[in-house]
Formats: sequence, structure tokens, C-alpha cells
Amino acid sequence: MAMAVKPWQWGNVPGHEMATPVKGDVVAKLIKSAKRPLLVVGGEALREKWGDKLLIDFVAELAKTGVPVVATAHTYRALRERGVEPAAIMTVADVTNRLQDPSWGVDGKGVHDLAIFVGISYQLQSQMLSTLKHFATHLRTISLDRYFHPNATFSMPNLKQDEWEQVLNNVIQVVRG
Amino acid sequence: MAEKGPLKISAKELTSGLVHAKDVEVFIGRLAMEEEWEPLGPTPFPSIATLRSWDHLLLSRYKPFYAPFCDYCCLCTYGKCDLSKGRLGACGLDMKAQTARIVLIACCIGAATHLSHARHMVDHLIEKYGEDYPINLGSDIAVEMPHARLITGIKPKTLGDLAFLLNYCEKQVTQCLSAAHTGQEGSYIDFESKALHVSMIDHLAMEIADVAQIVTFGFPKGDPDAPLTWVGLGVLDLSKPVVLCIGHNVSAGIEVIDYLEKSGLGGPGETVEVAGLCCTAHDITRYRDQAKIVGPISDQLRIIRSGAADAIMIDEQCIRTNVVYEAQRVKTPVIAVSDKASHGLPDVSELPIEKIVQMLLSGSTPGVFLPDLEKAGAVVALTAIRMAPIRQKFKIIPDPSQIQTQASQCTFCGTCRRNCPIDLPIDQAVFNAKNGNFELLSMLHDVCLGCARCEQVCPRKIPALSLIEAAAQHKIKTEKYRMRVGRGPILDTEIREVGSPIVLGEIPGVVAYVGCANFPNGGREVATMAREFARRGYIVTLSGCSAMVASYVKNEEGKTIYEEFPGAFDRGGVVNVGSCVANAHISGAAIKIANIFARRPLRANYEEIADYILNRVGACGVAWGAYSQKAASIATGFNRLGVPVIVGPQGSKYRRMYLGRAEDKESFTVYDARTGERVWVGPAPEHLIIALETMEECMVWTAKLCIRPNDTTKGRMIKLTHYVDLYKRIYGRLPPDLHMFVRTEADIPVTFKDEIMQHLKEVGWKPWERPSIDPTLLKRLVRV
Repeated sequence: MAMAVKPWQWGNVPGHEMATPVKGDVVAKLIKSAKRPLLVVGGEALREKWGDKLLIDFVAELAKTGVPVVATAHTYRALRERGVEPAAIMTVADVTNRLQDPSWGVDGKGVHDLAIFVGISYQLQSQMLSTLKHFATHLRTISLDRYFHPNATFSMPNLKQDEWEQVLNNVIQVVRG
Repeated sequence: MAEKGPLKISAKELTSGLVHAKDVEVFIGRLAMEEEWEPLGPTPFPSIATLRSWDHLLLSRYKPFYAPFCDYCCLCTYGKCDLSKGRLGACGLDMKAQTARIVLIACCIGAATHLSHARHMVDHLIEKYGEDYPINLGSDIAVEMPHARLITGIKPKTLGDLAFLLNYCEKQVTQCLSAAHTGQEGSYIDFESKALHVSMIDHLAMEIADVAQIVTFGFPKGDPDAPLTWVGLGVLDLSKPVVLCIGHNVSAGIEVIDYLEKSGLGGPGETVEVAGLCCTAHDITRYRDQAKIVGPISDQLRIIRSGAADAIMIDEQCIRTNVVYEAQRVKTPVIAVSDKASHGLPDVSELPIEKIVQMLLSGSTPGVFLPDLEKAGAVVALTAIRMAPIRQKFKIIPDPSQIQTQASQCTFCGTCRRNCPIDLPIDQAVFNAKNGNFELLSMLHDVCLGCARCEQVCPRKIPALSLIEAAAQHKIKTEKYRMRVGRGPILDTEIREVGSPIVLGEIPGVVAYVGCANFPNGGREVATMAREFARRGYIVTLSGCSAMVASYVKNEEGKTIYEEFPGAFDRGGVVNVGSCVANAHISGAAIKIANIFARRPLRANYEEIADYILNRVGACGVAWGAYSQKAASIATGFNRLGVPVIVGPQGSKYRRMYLGRAEDKESFTVYDARTGERVWVGPAPEHLIIALETMEECMVWTAKLCIRPNDTTKGRMIKLTHYVDLYKRIYGRLPPDLHMFVRTEADIPVTFKDEIMQHLKEVGWKPWERPSIDPTLLKRLVRV
């Protein structure tokens, strides 16, 4: 049974159907079971940090499990420095625009069935997820940020930073297998 | 069908008892309409459908991209209707059309706001100076109102002509708004066409408002050496009475200055400080550069709570709607002068000045509504002077010593952060302050939007914004920056100088930092970007709140951008055009390039000029902090004219972008006007309006969106130099889409030649067969 979760931004209540809140293993299973997942990484991944560790470090670990990455904002260089070669560099609006297209795949190998959003500023991410909710019915979306995103298909609930770290580590571990 | 100009009656021969005449033409209408200054173009006074085919052409390349803000439509009593996941509302509307409809409504509000501002301004000035007052912008400006000429086909000569033009604008806004009624338009593309139309009208309305005030108030007429003024929260001399003008319509602010001067109290700053926020601030400094600018809209609550103002005059737009309450808290009387924003205050128009001042001094009313501007000028000045010793700058921002006590109630529940529009860590900052550490609070001052939503939701009623300001007191005092006052239009002589290098690409572009202060990381990002592009030799133009915050970063020598760069519309120039309504001079400059430099017919020839700008004029708008409906219509008006716009991440809440898809080659083909062939020209520009997330990304895209199909090889090489250089600096590699912009080897920047050639070889690039064409989207312009 779904947890009752309020959107991170209180005013961001789009309608009566909101994301299913998920954590840990479920997130990992969703990613593992996706045939064509796509990881979309944004500029907040360079700002969110735990001590010396940045969110982009977690993202890079997840990407290394084989999920193709689109580097949005200016995250490309940081991903490369962490040994990840993104499949594309795009703005988040550009990748979202293409994800609406049921014939588009980042590598030309077919349509994606799961878009994983992470490290994108809250309001911008919420709007992009809204686009996909309404106009990309072939696609499921998940937000890995620690803020509940009602417009996603699945979203982390609102988490404290240490809880989030734990969840991300768990996800990486399970996806890595 | 297009609206007609004046009635024209022709007769081959006319005979009466008094006269016998041949080839007689009689005009009934305004004189400005008579003059055949240029053959009339195809679209005089366009109505909502006249330019529809141009819109559809644009939107077939730049397809509307929707990001709905809400799943419901709540506009009629059938609703709420859930439109999510392909559902239709009770009226049959789907989510795309509904979102486009909301965009149209926003653009109508924006256009109506500038338009009613213009109407008030023009009516007031006609009353003051007469309807025959001439439109004279000086000897260096012959094309005085490019929007008016382009859209309507008339060359305005007097204030009366401007009033006539406003009639046309008002009709267009009404018609566009009516299309948003339930059961009217049903197509998202046609909603967008109407949004583009009303936004074009917005630029005309802005032009009317600004030209009217320039010619009558003696504002700079395109002077590149317009004087420097002061901007910042620390600019006020608090030993003097302070008048604070908030809003966008300077008419009343000028009455305050005139009253002071006529009464022997001197100009602004001599005995009374006259300062402002938002666009009225811009415009009082265009009138007298001794007036001061406190800052953008985001500083409104800060300055009110600081207690600096002894009288607050509000006119219209961007006013805190609880201004009366906030002012009352610091015992500052409010004088409202616009019937559009009278804030529940008593109308005192019939009372004598002295009586009104006494009412305000006694505190029997927190403020008054006084639409008689001349009287309001006197009331505001006298109230400030007499109120100053009574108030003694009473403030509600606590002393730094009180911060910890007020923060002690914080439970770190996080509610403030979850209601902050830009997700600032207010919770952490207040919690730190509870433990005696004010550093984060003080840092938030630099990025906070000043909206105080955090205070509204705090269960412990902690005044977080006031605490932020208290913690930043030490640096607020030093916030004084030099800014060039708004110079208004671009001179025809400047256009003649730069037209060729802009169109050929040798000046890499014109970048316009415009609009409001809903910045994702504070205004300093705008300052950083503007300096970067000025140093690269782009022409940087600015307006509104962005023009203010662009001064907030000083260079190594302690100079602001306005002190570092010349104010000319030329390579490396930094041009503050002025307030919001002065944005029309930026779009007007693009029109003038097409007309003055390229000699394209201007009169009622919108489509051809927009086509020219889209394909040739490397201009890009950046509204990094856009928040308002006015910003929506300004941006959309730029788009119809062929100028792309970038908005900051908050701009995604406008719900709609116009995005191209670079890989869709067909959409980026144009006619070669010389041969009629369809030719692929690369994604230039790739988008018409897009929201971006970070400043770094914005800089790369700004350079890219200045690339145009018509660039010469030298011009393309220069533009690519900047695009590649920024890309390499920020991403650490060459742009992956470079092959779409390099037409021949001569386009390749010399500095990166080997690297780029290697890259092009790897991606299988071949020189284009038709690198140089005469690009147009309009078949009728094909010459064979």
C-alpha cells in the first residue's frame, strides 16, 4: 500500500493522481527490470553533497552499472572525470522533449521504457516530469532525488540526507547485482 | 481581415459650386496615416489571423513543448476537469490546448498591463502637453518607432498619434483574450498564434509608453554616454527624508521631483532622497540621475522593513500586494496613485494637500488613494519631510543581537524550505542562528527572492526574511554600485555602424539580459554572464531588474560592468535601455537592422522583417529571472519577431517552450531566395524559447543561439570560436553538434582547427554543397 506523502514543495499539488512513493529495493528492481532505462542527470548533482562526496559520485556509480546517461546542465565534465561517458549531452528540456516521442532512443536503439531523473532542480524537474506524465504514456518515470515528485510515476518520498545516502547506496548495490 | 487605416476617398473629378478639381484624395483619420512615406506593406494593422501563416510556419519548426503546472482546468463551472493522461474536459479541450490557453491568458495579461500603462501615460501627457506634442527623438533617430511602422504602417508624429495607435492595441488584446473563453478556440497551435499576436502588440505598447515618456520628460534619447547613477540597498542617505517609489509608471514619481525642485528643496538627494524599486526606479533616474535605485522587486520587503522610507508611493505593477500592511508596520504612509492598484485606500482626490498630509502624519489612515498626480507629488514630498522626524527610521528588522533570540523557536521542521520558491536552506540557516551561527543566514541574503513565503508558513511565526536581513546588515551598507541610466532607443547611426558586422556575424551577437528577479541563484549570475559576453565582444543590452543586478559584480579594478564597458550599441558595449517598456528598443534595434542596414521595406511588412531577423540577426534574449506575465509576453513577442529567448529554471513554470529538434533536418530547411531551392541550414537557431538549469549551460546556449544561417564564413568562424571556447571550458570537449554548424573549412575557428578537423573527420563531415545562400522561410520572397 502506498505511503501518504506530501509533495516536497507544498504548493506542488498537480492533481489527485500522484507518484507512487518508493524506496530502496523497489527502486532498484524498477531499474533492473526496465528494458531500456535512461538516466537523466542535472546540475544539482554537482551541488548536493555529503562531506566530500557529491551526488554526482553516486550517479556515476549507478551509470557504471550500464544505464545510459544523458548529461544535462553542465554535468558532462564531472561524469567524464568519474569514468562515465554519457550517451548524450542535452538540456533537460531537450531530452524531455525527445522522451515524448515513442520512436526515440538516445542511442538509436529504440524507445526507452523508464526515465530516471536525478539531480535536477526541483521545480524544473517537476515540470519536466509533468510533460512526460501527460504526453509520454509509453514511458514510466522515477525521481531519485530526496524530494517527493508528484508528477513522476515513482518517486522517493521526502528523505533526510543520511536516509537518502543509504537508499542510493542500496540501489547501486542491488542494480549492480 | 486587417484593420483599415484612415478612410481614403478618391475622385477622378470633383465639381461643386465653389471648386472644380481632378484626382482628388480625401483622408478621414489621423494625419500620420496620410503620409505615404514608403509603399504600404501587406499587413497594416494586423488582426489576430493576419499573421497566422507566419506563426504556423515558425511553430512547424519550433513546436510547442508543454509542461502543465496543474492537471485540472478550473476556469468554468463545469470544472474542475481532470485533463491528465489524454482526458478531455467537459468542453472538449485537451491538455495541450488548455496549457496553450493559459499561456495565451498570461500573454494577454502581460500585454494588457503594458498597454494600460501606455494608455495612462499617453492620456496623462496629452492632458499635460497637448495631443500635438511632437515625437522627436533627436537628429540621430529618424526611425523613431520601428514597431509602430512595422506593425501598423504609420509613422507617428505626435502624442495624439500614439493615442490612436493604442486604440488598435486595445482592440487586439480584447480579441485575443476573448479567444480564451470556454468554447472558443480549440487548437493549441491557434492558441499559440494568438499568444504570439498579442505579444507582438505588447512590444508596440511598450514602444508607445517609452517613447511618450522619453520625448516629454526629457529622458536620454539613445545617449551612449547617459550618466551613471547609484543602485543597491546601501545607496540611501538615511539622515535625510526618503521617498520610495514602487512600480513601473514614473508619471507620479516625476511629480514628486518637480515639486521638490519648484519648492526650492533641490533635486533628488539634496534635501530629500528620491529612490525607487523596479522600473519606476529606472525611470526616475532617467529623469534625474541624482535619484537612486534601491534594487529590483526582490528588495521590496527588505527596504520597507528596514524603515528607510518616510513615504511610499506606489503606482502600478510589481508592487507587493500587502504593501500597506508592511508599510504600516514601520509607520510609513502609502500613497497609491493608480486606479489599477488602489489597495483599499480612501480616495482623497477632493481634499486639499495639507489635509491629506495631516491625515497621513496622524496615522488616521495607513495611506491614501490619490490619482491626481500633481497633487500626489506634493503630498508624497511633504509627507516624507514631515514624517521623517516622527518615524525616526522606525524598522522591524531586528538588530543582529536579537537574531538568536528570535531564532530560538525554530524546531528545524523544514516547512520554510519546502515553501521557498527556490528551495533555499532557510531551515538550516535559522537553526544555525539558534545556535549562534549567522553565517548561512547572511549568505542567503545574496540569493533570497525576498518573497517571505517562509514566514507565512512557519508554525512558530519566525520572521525568517527579517532575520536574513539582520544577519546581513554589515554587508548591506556596502551594497552601492554604479549603473548607467537607461538610455532608451538605439541610434540609427549606431545601427548603420553595426548592421553589417551583426548580419555578417563579425560581431558575434546581441545578447539581451532582460526582465525580472526570480533568479535561481541571485542576481550575480546575470552580472557574471553579461560581463563574459561583453568581454567577448558581443553587444550586451539590458533592461529592468536584470539591468540593475548586472552591476552587482565588480571587476578586478572595482568597476561595475557599466564602468568597465562603454554604453554604445557596438562591439563590447553594455547598453542599459531602461525599464521594462524600454525592451521595445531592443526588439526595435533588430527591426532597424533589417530596415536601415539591409533596406528591407519596413512599412506594415512584419512577416518579411521577422523572417530577416530569424535568419540573419544573431540576437538572443536571456530572461534569467523571469517571473511575470509581462515577461511571458515580452519573450513571446521577441519570438514572433524571430529572436530566441532563454529563461532560467523557474521559467519552466510558464508551462510552454518552443523547441526545435536539430536532427529533424527537414524542419531546418529554408528557401534560397536566389534559386527557390530548399536548403538545409543547420539548427540555427535551434530553439525559440527554452528553460535552462544553470548559468554555465546558459552561457553555452547563448553563444549557440546567436548563430544564423546567413553568417559569412568569417562571421561563422567568430561565432563558433565563442561557442567552442565556452563549450570546452564548461564541458571539457568539443560540442557534439559542431558538424551541423561548420559549412566549409573556412568556418572553422583557427585556434581549434586541428582538433575540430579531427572531430569532423570522425563524424564523417563533408563540406556543404550550398554553404552560402539567401535564406528565407517565405516562398513569396524567392526571386525566380
